[in-house]
Amino acid sequence: MTAHEQIVEAVNLSKTYPDGKVQALKDISFSVAKGEFISIIGPSGCGKSTLIKILGDITEPSMGTVRVNGLNARQARLKGMFSFVFQNPVLLPWRRVIENVSLPLEILHNGTRDPNSLLRVFGLEGFENAYPAQLSGGMKQRVALARALTFNPKILLMDEPFGAVDELNRAALDLDLARIWQEIGVTVFFVTHSISEAVFLADRVFVLSARPARLKTVLNISFPRPRNKELQETEPFQEVVRCLRKELE
Amino acid sequence: MSAQGIGIRPVVVPAVALVVLLGVWQAAHRIFHFNSIVLPAPTEIVAAFVKNAGSILTETGLTMFESVMGFIIGCGAAYLLAIAFVHSRTVQQAVYPYAVALKSTPLIAIAPLLVLWFGNGIASKIVMSALVAFFPVLVNSVSGLTAVDAEALDLMKSYSATRRQVLLKIRIPNSLSYLFPALKIASSLAVVGAVIGEFTGSTRGIGHLINTSSYYLDTALVFSAIGSISLGGILFFGFVAWFEKRIVFWQKA
Ligand SMILES: Nc1ncnc2c1ncn2[C@@H]1O[C@H](COP(=O)(O)OP(=O)(O)OP(=O)(O)O)[C@@H](O)[C@H]1O
Ligand SMILES: [Mg+2]
Repeated sequence: MTAHEQIVEAVNLSKTYPDGKVQALKDISFSVAKGEFISIIGPSGCGKSTLIKILGDITEPSMGTVRVNGLNARQARLKGMFSFVFQNPVLLPWRRVIENVSLPLEILHNGTRDPNSLLRVFGLEGFENAYPAQLSGGMKQRVALARALTFNPKILLMDEPFGAVDELNRAALDLDLARIWQEIGVTVFFVTHSISEAVFLADRVFVLSARPARLKTVLNISFPRPRNKELQETEPFQEVVRCLRKELE
Repeated sequence: MSAQGIGIRPVVVPAVALVVLLGVWQAAHRIFHFNSIVLPAPTEIVAAFVKNAGSILTETGLTMFESVMGFIIGCGAAYLLAIAFVHSRTVQQAVYPYAVALKSTPLIAIAPLLVLWFGNGIASKIVMSALVAFFPVLVNSVSGLTAVDAEALDLMKSYSATRRQVLLKIRIPNSLSYLFPALKIASSLAVVGAVIGEFTGSTRGIGHLINTSSYYLDTALVFSAIGSISLGGILFFGFVAWFEKRIVFWQKA
């Protein structure tokens, strides 16, 4: 395996929304290796969601380019390389759990994973035929995660995915995500408001400045894997969290 | 109070209220010697119904047929036009403001024109029904097809879904919870439209029967005809409401 094979290359990304004349991003450049886990933190309203959407070609940058495996962002999207998870699970209430998880497969015809086994991985066996209204918030987000992985995307773009989940469920979801990420080797961009969640999951943490967001700091996180939740109580971990908190102020 | 008692209360209470009302009406009629041409007693209305059951039910059936046909045509056309709006902003901008304006105009005022254009057979009644059913369904369908969660659209874009896939998998299912309330309104309006059409010019239908019997001062027959078409309208509404519960099952009441 070529450990340093770059998969995502962002060059001078800037974004100004035309209507409000709000500049959200300014000159953001980075490159990310295949299989890396990147956490993104920044002051609220700085442009994190905008960045995630530009990476996945949902929104166009005003300037700059995104290249993925030598393709431009649009070509990569058409190949089904990106997958999103939002803070809201965005499940379709008229579809059963299994039908929600299979939705991308009805549209993209990529290499696929079996939706049923994905549901098992996320502890949702027995709920295949339930409707979203019958699930708890944490379970809905697990369904959204399973749906995001069915079509075997190369890059997982997560925008505060566990922001609305209670603390216990959130810890469990973090562990599940870390485990699955290691298993399948997908590249992850993970936006969060929680510094300790960012550190716990990441290989590198990107710290954005206040609007217009620039890439202020990139911090390597080298705690060995697999990590468990006790790590968060240790002094070195707390030290990193304090350091990042200072960066954000 | 038992759970079962709570379960049947919604049926029992209005039924008792109706019986009491009819009893008071009947008693007042006898005590104060109402003129039956102005207000017949409930027993006289029932007698008129029994005597004319054949023609009342036939004419009610005809009017309900016109209403249902008008409903299907009007609602179907409205939904198709709503889909066209979603696909073409220009068409929407050109037509939609007029649709919203017409939604709250008393369209039944044009009934005489419809009779002039489509004759005094069932065609003019079906057109009238279709027309009054059309606008509320159009307006609600456009709302339902467009009021889609922005993140659901982002998700579909990330799969590179076509517009057709977005329409079939997101917009149409999403529109159903907006559509059915309009269909319920349209079901009532369609019956109103058909009856007004018959009042305006016809030789058949419950509207015609009501017109002629009031001309002959047979008020008991007028009342039994009104009761009959009201029941038809309620059944129609109930049928649409029943369908709504089955189709839009994810919507919590
Ligand atoms: N579609 C849009 N049109 C105009 N302005 C927008 C749009 N989307 C976002 N903005 C603006 O761009 C800025 C950055 O928004 P963005 O949602 O990317 O920030 P964020 O860091 O994700 O915020 P939060 O912490 O609340 O999630 C904000 O000022 C926002 O108002
Ligand atoms: Mg955001």
